[in-house]
Amino acid sequence: MPSDFSIALIVPLIILGTALLILLLGESKYYTKQRAHLLSLGAVVGSLLLLQGDLFAAHSALLNRELFNGMLIYDTFATLFMTLFLIGGAMTLSVGHAFIDKAPYFRAEAFVLLLLALFGMLLLAMAHELFSALVALEIASMSVYILVGLNREHRLSAEAFFKYLVLGAFMGSFYLLGMALIYAQSGSTHLGEIAAYIAVHPLNELYLVIAGGMLIMTTVLFKIAAVPFGIWVLDVYEGASLPVTAFMAGAFKIAVFAIALRIFIVDYLYLQQYYTPLLTAAAIVTIVAGSLSAVTQSSVRRMLAASSIVHSGYLLIGLASMGSIGSSAASAILFYLIAYMFSAVGSFGILSYIARGSSRPLTYEDLKGLASHHPLIALSLSVFMLSLAGFPSTIGFLGKFYIFTGAIESGLTWLALLGALAAFVSIYYYFRVIAMLYFHPAEDTKQHYGYPLSFAVILLSAVAVLWGGIGTGLMTLIPGADVLTDIARESIRSLHLL
Amino acid sequence: MAILSWMIFLPILTSIALFLLPLGLRATKLLSLAASLGVAALSLWLYGHFEPTAAMQFVEHTPWIPPYGISYHVGVDGVSLPLVMMVALLMPLIGIGLYNRDRKGVWLNLLLAQGGIMGAVLALDLMLFYLFWETMLLPIFFLIGLYGYGRHHFITMKFTIYTIFGSLMMLVGILFVAVTYYQQTGSFSFALDDLKTITLSQREALFAFAAFMLAFAIKVPLFPFHTWLSDTYRSAPTGAVVVLSALMAKLGVYAIWRFLFTLFDATSHDLDIWFVALGLFGLIYFGIVAIRQQHIKRLFAYSSASHLSLMVVGIFIYDQYGLTGAAYLIAAHALASGGLFIMVGMMYERTRTHAIDAMGGIATTAPRFALFFALFSLAIVGVPGTAGFVAELLIILGAFHTHPVVGFVSATTILIAMLFMFNLLTRTLYGKPAASAKPFEDLRPNEIVALVPIALLILAMGIFPNLFLKKIEPTVEASITAAKVHHAK
Repeated sequence: MPSDFSIALIVPLIILGTALLILLLGESKYYTKQRAHLLSLGAVVGSLLLLQGDLFAAHSALLNRELFNGMLIYDTFATLFMTLFLIGGAMTLSVGHAFIDKAPYFRAEAFVLLLLALFGMLLLAMAHELFSALVALEIASMSVYILVGLNREHRLSAEAFFKYLVLGAFMGSFYLLGMALIYAQSGSTHLGEIAAYIAVHPLNELYLVIAGGMLIMTTVLFKIAAVPFGIWVLDVYEGASLPVTAFMAGAFKIAVFAIALRIFIVDYLYLQQYYTPLLTAAAIVTIVAGSLSAVTQSSVRRMLAASSIVHSGYLLIGLASMGSIGSSAASAILFYLIAYMFSAVGSFGILSYIARGSSRPLTYEDLKGLASHHPLIALSLSVFMLSLAGFPSTIGFLGKFYIFTGAIESGLTWLALLGALAAFVSIYYYFRVIAMLYFHPAEDTKQHYGYPLSFAVILLSAVAVLWGGIGTGLMTLIPGADVLTDIARESIRSLHLL
Repeated sequence: MAILSWMIFLPILTSIALFLLPLGLRATKLLSLAASLGVAALSLWLYGHFEPTAAMQFVEHTPWIPPYGISYHVGVDGVSLPLVMMVALLMPLIGIGLYNRDRKGVWLNLLLAQGGIMGAVLALDLMLFYLFWETMLLPIFFLIGLYGYGRHHFITMKFTIYTIFGSLMMLVGILFVAVTYYQQTGSFSFALDDLKTITLSQREALFAFAAFMLAFAIKVPLFPFHTWLSDTYRSAPTGAVVVLSALMAKLGVYAIWRFLFTLFDATSHDLDIWFVALGLFGLIYFGIVAIRQQHIKRLFAYSSASHLSLMVVGIFIYDQYGLTGAAYLIAAHALASGGLFIMVGMMYERTRTHAIDAMGGIATTAPRFALFFALFSLAIVGVPGTAGFVAELLIILGAFHTHPVVGFVSATTILIAMLFMFNLLTRTLYGKPAASAKPFEDLRPNEIVALVPIALLILAMGIFPNLFLKKIEPTVEASITAAKVHHAK
């Protein structure tokens, strides 16, 4: 039986909530933009620091039964995701400082919304019950919808907001219906009880549970922008302001995986045979369509948005190969998410750093000559591009390596081959960015970007991306590639502890 | 860190440090030269202490990602030794010979390339090998893109994408082999020694063999994967060309032996006739194409491809002489082609052209230049007394040993090489100087310093081959015996 709770486990949530309330109630002359920014960053970093001890060993505990009725769980899996979200949030806030400071439409409510989104995501990571997961997901989604539309004056931003809101709300209802179907048959929305129900009933009696799972999967596919549900992603990533895009691409996207993986592994692993063909098909379509679309984009933002579709495709390969091997592919997905979070937030973050509050689309030409004026920024962006392309010696390579290994392990060698082909295509569009950075003379004079905090965090993330690819915990105390691998494995193990 | 790690990481770390430190051009040049000289000194020590036995030596083995059995595992044996020596010795000579290159990036990228290639040669773990194999592309990508000629932006993309296609297929192959090992033993490993124990069905082995071979065939390049070759050589700056032709291409040949022959011995043996045929065809085809070139770098590109095809023949005939000759030719051709490409760089510095027709009569104004140029060309052809002769003779002997037809066709290499080399020599060194050309400046002191060691080594390897062969032979013998035993079963 899991050890019963102490309230200390939700302290990160409490801190975030408090900061949020302070900002919300105290939005006044005292909380200028600078102070609000600092307060949010402090809250995020503070919560992050509190989480650290719990990452390295598998553990699992239900939060206070009297208070939460078994709906929230605190395990390594949740800890890992919460850490990722908070790092993503902290990176967004610090790297995006340059942009946020310059853009007039980032006012105190933007920070409230960001904190609220993080709050929802943290809750989502801990949700062990379908309904609370939905609530958490909607808290986060609603905040992100508004963040997308923050720049009211801008046509693209408004378009992105409406597109995302309407589609998102519509697709959210699939989840609701799926949940209803599952409840109708199993009589519970609690993940543990559903799992128990599935375990004792023969597969051919579980129609409603299977159908419900499919509906939930539809919502998940929408949220991670898998084709054919992912058309919104190009316009939304382009319309939203760059720090928000960084947050969506890096942190919010993986939030959906927190609940999707949990449901999948805890409840649906026995029923995998029904889903593998669908997931495989989705992976193929997503990878092909995403690659085609990424190759043809002329704006860097849209290219990154399209390439994030391809990354969803790799993750779907991971999901599809979970059927026969289970945990190994699951930890591959987790590692991939870690890798992707750093690279995506980093690359969008650098774009926001360069754009400095302007909302014009960044074309490839805008990057020309960055290397001659700002060698370190250009180098960091190159590192992120290499990581996204899965080039060895970066963390992105190990992510792909684990995903492909998992696919081959479960007999989907040709799917791994397709993934390798997509990685090959991605070399073209990511290396195009690097070529722009280095091979062209600068068109305008050198600009001083300032914002040492943003600059430092960019460099730090680039080093982390490299260290995550080659570093080893045997050499120093900083967690390298092998430690991250261990954390991913322990997280998956913790799902089965209850 | 032990000696092999120093040889890999000294250039890489120096390059990173030089990038971060705000040093002037002169300091950058001197420091990077010092780093490559340091590696050269280490390599000489290594050569001296290398025991002439078949065993893997100077092995370093540290776990890296234990859950997947990936480790940092390097070592050197008789077949990799010549290539290691070339990587270590040629780099400082490039630096000295082309000391006038006033671009910081050239020096940094060359150092990175050196470390990457060295790592790939020494790696005994497939993931480690893949890591170096891929990363060594980056400096070449930058060298061509930043400092190349002609449409170099397009060409560097084409080259990078072309080679990465092969690498990614190899990655799937590596993973496939490793997962098979996992399924057969219950634990993961990427160590070459572990992975060679797996049993694959014929179809699986063929699939994995093809995945690896694609990567290596593109890198060498074998016919018909050579379409990136001539444009890339034409556009690449001198340093990059030397690295590409003298070192990276040889790495492809070496990797075929090291990885394909170890992992898929049976499949390699079954398919050997095809690759011998492909190699022989490439040998003649590239040779004939080389005769027709008007651009000097294109000519050398095809001439290199022709000799690389000969090396592939040498290893695929599964003969002791053939393999020894191939390993020897790796070093001999690296020296000669490296020297030639350095001299082409000097030529371009003086005449600002790569067109063969625009040159002529160099021997009259620059006798020393002509002497070295002719020596290296003769070494490429394989004239007795040069290293190329010994190597080619061994391969041809091995080929006759396998089948008279194979022997006969591979012997044509000397004839073909003679045709394009003598043709080139008459048109550049002799004849009338081109009307518009300024008098051709003879070798400067630093250039002589760079070229003399190469020339001496070529002669030494040609006149006293036994001194060098004795380090190679034990490994070759063991490898061929093992292959024969394996195949007899």
